[in-house]
Amino acid sequence: MIRRFHVVAIPIRMVVNNFGDHNPDGQMYVLKENESKVKELIRKNPFTPVDLVQPLTIRANEGDVVEILFENQLPFAAGMHFQDLDYNVLTSDGANVGFNPSSLAECGEQLLYKLDATFEGICFFTDVGNVSSTEKGSSIQGLFGTLLVEKRGSWWTDPITGGPINSGAFADIHNPFLPSFREYAWFFHDEMEVDDLTGNRPLNPMTNQESESFHGVNYRYEPLHNRLRLVEEGVVSPEVEGEEVHHDSWMFGDPATPILRGYRDDPAIIRLIHAASKETHVFHYHAHQWLRDPGNVQSEIVDAQAISPQSHYSIQPLYGLGSLPGTIGDVIIHCHLYPHFEAGMWGMNRIFDTLQDGSQCYPNGIPIAPLQPLPDRPFPPRPTKERPGFPNFIPGKVGCKAPRPPLGIVGGRDMTELEKNAAVPNARPGAVFVDPCLDNPVVVEFNISVIEMPIVYNKQGWYDPKGRLYVLDEDLDDVRSGKKEPEPLVLHVPAGTCIRINFTNRLPHILDGDAFQLVTRTYEVGFHIHFVKFDVLVCDGANVGWNYDSSVLPNETARYEYFADTELKAFFVHDHLFPVSHQQHGIFGTIVVQPRFSQFLDSKTGEETDQGAEITVHHPLIADYRDFTLFVQDFALLFDKDGCPIQPPQFPGSQDDPGIFAVNYKNEPLQFRLGKECDPAYSFSSYVNGDPLTPVFRAYEGDSIRIRLLQGAHEESHSFNLHGLRWKSERPSNDSQMRSQQHIGISESFTFEMDIPRAGDYLWAFETEEDIWNGTWGLIRAYDQEVEDLIPLSDQPLPEPRTRPLPEVTGKPPAPADPQSTLPPEVAHNAPIRRYSVVAFQTPILYNSFGDHDPYGIVFALEEDVDDILSGKKNPEPLVLRGNSGDLVEVTLTSKLKFDLFPFPDGIHPYPPVKEQAFYPPSLRISLHVNMLDYDVTTSSGGTVGFNPDQTVGPGETITYRWHVQDAMGTCAMWDLADLRNHRSFGTFGAFIAEPRFTTYLDPYTLEPVRTGTNVLLQHPLNDRFREFVLVMHDGVRLEDKHGKVIIDPLDGVLLEPDEAEDDEVDTYDFGSRGFNYRTERLINRFRKHPVLGDLFSSEVHGDPATPVFEAYPGDPIVVRLTTPSERRRAHTFHIHGHNWKFDPRDIESRIDSYTGHMVVGVTEDLLLIGGAGGTYNYPGDYMYRAGNIRWDIEQGMWGIIRVHSKVQPHLPPLSH
Amino acid sequence: MTFSLPNSVDFAGIHNAALIDHFAAGIGQKAFILTPSYPFMFIGQIVSLIDNHVELLVETTHFAQLENRTWIINVQNIEVFYIEFPGEPCIPELNDMV
Repeated sequence: MIRRFHVVAIPIRMVVNNFGDHNPDGQMYVLKENESKVKELIRKNPFTPVDLVQPLTIRANEGDVVEILFENQLPFAAGMHFQDLDYNVLTSDGANVGFNPSSLAECGEQLLYKLDATFEGICFFTDVGNVSSTEKGSSIQGLFGTLLVEKRGSWWTDPITGGPINSGAFADIHNPFLPSFREYAWFFHDEMEVDDLTGNRPLNPMTNQESESFHGVNYRYEPLHNRLRLVEEGVVSPEVEGEEVHHDSWMFGDPATPILRGYRDDPAIIRLIHAASKETHVFHYHAHQWLRDPGNVQSEIVDAQAISPQSHYSIQPLYGLGSLPGTIGDVIIHCHLYPHFEAGMWGMNRIFDTLQDGSQCYPNGIPIAPLQPLPDRPFPPRPTKERPGFPNFIPGKVGCKAPRPPLGIVGGRDMTELEKNAAVPNARPGAVFVDPCLDNPVVVEFNISVIEMPIVYNKQGWYDPKGRLYVLDEDLDDVRSGKKEPEPLVLHVPAGTCIRINFTNRLPHILDGDAFQLVTRTYEVGFHIHFVKFDVLVCDGANVGWNYDSSVLPNETARYEYFADTELKAFFVHDHLFPVSHQQHGIFGTIVVQPRFSQFLDSKTGEETDQGAEITVHHPLIADYRDFTLFVQDFALLFDKDGCPIQPPQFPGSQDDPGIFAVNYKNEPLQFRLGKECDPAYSFSSYVNGDPLTPVFRAYEGDSIRIRLLQGAHEESHSFNLHGLRWKSERPSNDSQMRSQQHIGISESFTFEMDIPRAGDYLWAFETEEDIWNGTWGLIRAYDQEVEDLIPLSDQPLPEPRTRPLPEVTGKPPAPADPQSTLPPEVAHNAPIRRYSVVAFQTPILYNSFGDHDPYGIVFALEEDVDDILSGKKNPEPLVLRGNSGDLVEVTLTSKLKFDLFPFPDGIHPYPPVKEQAFYPPSLRISLHVNMLDYDVTTSSGGTVGFNPDQTVGPGETITYRWHVQDAMGTCAMWDLADLRNHRSFGTFGAFIAEPRFTTYLDPYTLEPVRTGTNVLLQHPLNDRFREFVLVMHDGVRLEDKHGKVIIDPLDGVLLEPDEAEDDEVDTYDFGSRGFNYRTERLINRFRKHPVLGDLFSSEVHGDPATPVFEAYPGDPIVVRLTTPSERRRAHTFHIHGHNWKFDPRDIESRIDSYTGHMVVGVTEDLLLIGGAGGTYNYPGDYMYRAGNIRWDIEQGMWGIIRVHSKVQPHLPPLSH
Repeated sequence: MTFSLPNSVDFAGIHNAALIDHFAAGIGQKAFILTPSYPFMFIGQIVSLIDNHVELLVETTHFAQLENRTWIINVQNIEVFYIEFPGEPCIPELNDMV
């Protein structure tokens, strides 16, 4: 079937909320049939939102051909670039790339795109004609939309009228063979231009400074600062503070942001899209869970999911709307990054229990729009006077804060008659309108308080004077007296448990002011939970929409009830009333839902316990394990021992990245671990500096462990890396990929399960440069002999009695490791040995033809290539080593580093900056760490960690690491661990590719065997030939231009002058240049030469980019090996035009994507392009690969080309040659 | 040298029959069974054999809501099992923590 749409790109005034905030320079796609209508509506309604102003959402079915007549009314060449669809790149790419003809339309022109909707799902589209990161760019101003591809045979109707629709973010989808479902398109986007009614940038009434930049959904945002003004002006209940009522419809009416309406139990899919432009957000949907990979029933269950720009997921809530208990009410959906949440990035899912036919009103008199029941669902009951349905049985008062729930507060009120009619028969505290607990499960009850007390974070005495934390009531005295060290609350319960919480607010009314924050009256607090099943009206620990306010006032106790229906993971708990104000002080914790029948033991004493970040779990059937919990934190608002604030913001109350980083209320900054010899190579050594104050988890060799990874606060992405160990990324699946890295955003929760094969110290680290510099690392220590205060696991052999003394701090570097004395734990007898001789040395690196270069580059190269690189014959590229499954790889590393060749011999590394700059002189030692491979951590992990021997080498020294390729895992990341501050961003990284057994590696041009290279042919007796393209996506680079002037990216690389200085928007971790494989094609260089935005990617105009141009023929099998070993915290998206791949290449049921999100330090991806070169239909042409971040990646040079030749080229032998 | 099997031997049938015999011998005993399908694990007393189905009075499964009732399990769907014959090691006691 051919579906035709006529789409127009228009400039438009977007009013983004009911307060008149607007974008005067908005841009959007609209169907031609709606163009004049929307323009007229905007003319008539200049200060109120117009429904038709929404990101264009159109639909087709699998197998359809979609023809789009695109018309451009914008003053630059623009187009529609579609992700995930198949198309002829020469005509329908919506871009102007390489030697392709342009498929952008000039202003006033029309052109036709023909697209094949091959796969069901989200096909996001946006403009790549104008990729400026400023408000003069198109994506930032709203030029994006989506084509949603439904199952074959589907049709769609308007949820209000039931009639057919041609576009719209919300639709009901029907299919003759499948259940009907509600479909909601949800576009996160950030950094759009926004002015208030007066035409000025909105102000925050609390700080009187400019508000946070736009963070919204579907061209709308509902920031706290607007609603706060109504409080300050006395329009609504003036006694409240503000943040606690931000989402309260009783106070303010409904927000302008999307409200996704449905009936209880309706099947639904939220099509989640991050349309633009900068931040990696975390999508969180209260009270519901879904599969991370919707088609794969063995994928992880999540309820919060990080999403990077130009990425998308289908969120299909398990059990439909209301989840397992069928809860009704307002379910908030939001970005969990608190400054974004406060800035307005939230909306709601409204679940009704009675029919809405247009005859009802909300409590404030606003009519409730009709909502067609899904045709194959039971018809909802009609509302009656006695049973009016949600929200009209709730005894609230319009203009005042939501009422407290019945029964929930100790000593509180009973139910009203209407509430009784709506309640379940056995209504009880925390479970009034649904019964979350199936059957009659075991009950576990906890008494928890939240308190304020100072928390000391490190050995240097950095402290939070206003630490706030959850504590079990029985521990209150011990924690307050200092007898028990404060740590985030970690409780353990078995699956199948009904959890009851008696929660007491023991906080002072006032969060005092200081250099970080203004005085805030945080007078109420809640206990909001993730993952478990509960009655969202009364037990959300929040105050949302027309629900109750389920928080508690000072010295009151609230009672909550949840059901842990099955073994989950560590479910996150935190406050939802004042989290922006005080969660970063420590108000977070977790309850871990362990396997049913587990017994929880104190790892030191063996006594039963129900709490602790480090415990031992015994189970009668499955293997016993150690359970370790880590919470990473940012925005930790600490003072040094002299009372000086550490990294205060420009003004108190600013959300502009105040404070510092920590893990479990502790940090161990590297600046304090230089030792007497002032050598960064020993920063992680316990011999030199003792153990860190951060968690050192303990186990015996051979033990199973589970790591619960969470983020407690507050806004930023972090990258967890575990050196020497690995886990399955989808824990329930045997087909899963292995990983030793995980990106995390706040509220996400991961469980990693693995065994510790051998004794030694294993480094865990949140390992982007600024994080680890400020101390977000620690150890897992595995003993080979008995220690007094660690019980053995009951199903493991007893550890040997101790015959060797435990190592002690000496203050001196340890002896060199001897990798030849041991073998990797899993290596087979007589494994084939593959040897590489690698040299680390300094050499300038030329990043592009415009002369942008790194004069102080440090690289790893094979010994045979060193002369060519030093003589300038070869411009270096990141070292790529390969081995086959089963190989024992011996890598001999030699250091040739010279002190004089470092840029900052005084020991201060000023740019790119990090927080808490300090003396840290460059190390002349170097090492090579590889993730995921199998090796003895005490000799071959490439770090001098804990009480492990020295695995770094100084000038002229050599070490030979032994790595075992235990499986054909594909991409592994490599980097230096000797000096993360002075080495890595200068080039000390690369990749190791673990190939299938019997693979040989050939030069794609000469077909001669090669030992390294980013572009090779893989030859295999069974798989035949593959092209392998290795892309190392890296950032944080210090470049100089051809005149020797330091380039301060991203600011120096911004296309089109911003209207206002954007310096404030650049966080420390945004600084530095970026690209692929030691190359960058910064668009600003091209723009200066030829200032036409639409031609920036054109090779006709500019020649090919400096970044790799990979070549292939149509249909050639291609695997892209993608990794980010270095180095900043800003997460990137990677996208290839016109190609798709499986999210998990090992799993046939895995979802199909054309992007990879959250690229940060340690990520490894293997992209097997479906259909090979040219996509499913093997179209020849130039395909751009690039970042997805408009701000600030694409214009900064993060792009290149995969060239698919239509005819045989003399220089490139075909695969069948 | 080649080794050939007579076509008439029904190995699947022999396997099934042996399983059925073994479970029949275990009537009245406690059994532990893993299946690839929901709810994956059963512990309980073997009540009877009905054709090639085991009738099990289930004390424990993965989910408490599905316990204390009779389950009928096809022997071909049993991947792992253990029958606690007298004098042999006991199936571990599984108790919900209270």
